[in-house]
Amino acid sequence: MRHSAFRNISTGIACFFTCLLFLAVGTLPFILKPSTLLEALLSAEMLYSMKLSLLTASVSTFSVMFFSIPTAYSLSRYDFSGKALVKSILGLPMAFPELVLGLALLLLFGQTPLGTGLEALGIRVPFSKPGIVVAQFFVAFPYAVRVIYSTFESIDRRYEQVSRSFGYGDFETFRNVTLPMARGGLFASTVITFARCIGAFGAVLILAGGSYMHTEVLPVTLYLNISYGNLDMAITSGVLLMAIAFLAILSFEYFEGGKT
Amino acid sequence: MGGQNTSGQKVSGQNTNFLEVRGLDLDVGGFELRDISLRAEEGDYVAVIGPSGSGKSLLLETLIGFYNPKAGRVFLEGRDITDFPPDKRQISIVYQDHVLFPHMTVFENIAYALRKKLRDKTRIEEEVGRIAGLLEIPHLLFRKPTTLSGGEKQRTALARGLVVRPKLLLLDEPFSALDVRTKERLREVLKKAIKEYSTTVLHVTHDFDDLWALADRVLIIRNGKVMQEGAPEAVFKRPSPDFVAEFLGTNLLKGRVREREGKLTVLELEGKSPGSERESMGLDGMNPGKVHSGLILYSADPGEPGEKLSISIRPEEIILAGGVLESSARNMLKGTVKDIVKKEHLVSVNLELETGSGRGSGTGSGTGSCPEFRAVITPMSCELMDLKIGKEVYAVFKAANVRIIR
Repeated sequence: MRHSAFRNISTGIACFFTCLLFLAVGTLPFILKPSTLLEALLSAEMLYSMKLSLLTASVSTFSVMFFSIPTAYSLSRYDFSGKALVKSILGLPMAFPELVLGLALLLLFGQTPLGTGLEALGIRVPFSKPGIVVAQFFVAFPYAVRVIYSTFESIDRRYEQVSRSFGYGDFETFRNVTLPMARGGLFASTVITFARCIGAFGAVLILAGGSYMHTEVLPVTLYLNISYGNLDMAITSGVLLMAIAFLAILSFEYFEGGKT
Repeated sequence: MGGQNTSGQKVSGQNTNFLEVRGLDLDVGGFELRDISLRAEEGDYVAVIGPSGSGKSLLLETLIGFYNPKAGRVFLEGRDITDFPPDKRQISIVYQDHVLFPHMTVFENIAYALRKKLRDKTRIEEEVGRIAGLLEIPHLLFRKPTTLSGGEKQRTALARGLVVRPKLLLLDEPFSALDVRTKERLREVLKKAIKEYSTTVLHVTHDFDDLWALADRVLIIRNGKVMQEGAPEAVFKRPSPDFVAEFLGTNLLKGRVREREGKLTVLELEGKSPGSERESMGLDGMNPGKVHSGLILYSADPGEPGEKLSISIRPEEIILAGGVLESSARNMLKGTVKDIVKKEHLVSVNLELETGSGRGSGTGSGTGSCPEFRAVITPMSCELMDLKIGKEVYAVFKAANVRIIR
């Protein structure tokens, strides 16, 4: 069967850029010798960075999911004044650079009554580990809300209405019907959120600072070691971030992409 | 309203309409209900019919409390429930596409409905077992909805809707996605279950067979307005506005059971169809029992010899033939084309039937005038048969298409 020229050209473009991306990313783990990779992986700095990344990303992911589920549900199911404005503001961080988000958060938690108030309570956000969590939270939150919102929108409201007709209230219906039916989307959102948190760089660097073995998470390790000219460590942290991203995308495709 | 005193409190023991809807107005995303009023007594089975987009489903979803009306009130057992949330109304709904919770088994789906009402696990199991038995689904209880056939899903949905013994059960075209045999079986099962659970039902349907098999009353709705309501036979006999006559458009004949012949009922006709063009214009040609047409029909519905009844034959279920047709159909009546009305996609052919002619009509006494009869065919068939007024044709239809209405 003869294919049209348009079909051949568009498929060719898709294949070319996929190969280019694969070459750039797929060869990264093989640039280093396995022994060098292992040595860098087991270095004190890398172990600290990995541990801090996993810890902060886990706390951030939990917080993001805890707050994004009710946020997305209210946006999906209820009408209230200012809803369009809320949706626009929540979507803003997806559109502007992470560095700007980091700067805005630094100012909010540094010089405003919120920042000084928290500091008076003994919670210091700028240039500290909690700052990493805050930065990761605001980077990932809009994405999580978007994914969960789409999940709730895809659930026919009649399931909830049928549950209500059997005497269950709003929250009981949400817990018994909506949440279990949204399980796949919530899982995908958790994975994507975790990947966003662990890979967050610009906002983390500005708000928490890039201090060696203090607020050093994997992207910061990559950045610092590139700055020092230590390519082995930089590549190793890159490989780690890539592996996490790959696992996240794989899980997302499995649960959201028709379980293929 | 009869059941309320001057202070608006419900007064028990007085004759109150079980369900009363007064002047309901609603506007939801382009769909409207306008000044809907209806009444139903306890235990009534009310069929709501009308063309697609006429607001039938919207009416059900408003009654259950999913939408708040702009105006009008809804009373159930004399209580104004217009502002009640769905969880306080004790009304169940069953949809065409089942809306079974996919993460629960059949048992869990049915038990979920009960858990707000019953705390005792054993009682819940008993009740689920009871309704499952009535709807013939005990063998499906531990399967997930995704593994069930359409009919099995609908039985489960009906079981879930009924198990709570709702004051009002709303059915939104529950059988429309099922095949004919499954529909017939489900109607029987539903009828039995409704009787057992003594529930009042409002059933939205497109299918006239649902109406004949189940309904005590019918409500015809169009563009969000009630066009006519009453007992099915009365509405079919006297379709008041032109729309109702055209919408119903069935051949409704009067007759009596002559005898049983094997599994078939032999019917002797006595009158004319009120669904004919003349009737819809208000020229009532119905004269039940006075004229004996002598026409004999076979029906697959049961009947007792001597019983007087109405017979419905849908015009689209009639085949027109230019000559005697060898077929498995038990009814073949000879007639003359009286009128041909061309519509957009169909042609309505009015026939004057000849008495004592053709299969299924030769044994009558053959006196008096003949019933008027309407068949609907495609424009192409009309052209191929070269149909003209005055031409002789044969109307052929199965015994299964001759429906007895009591």
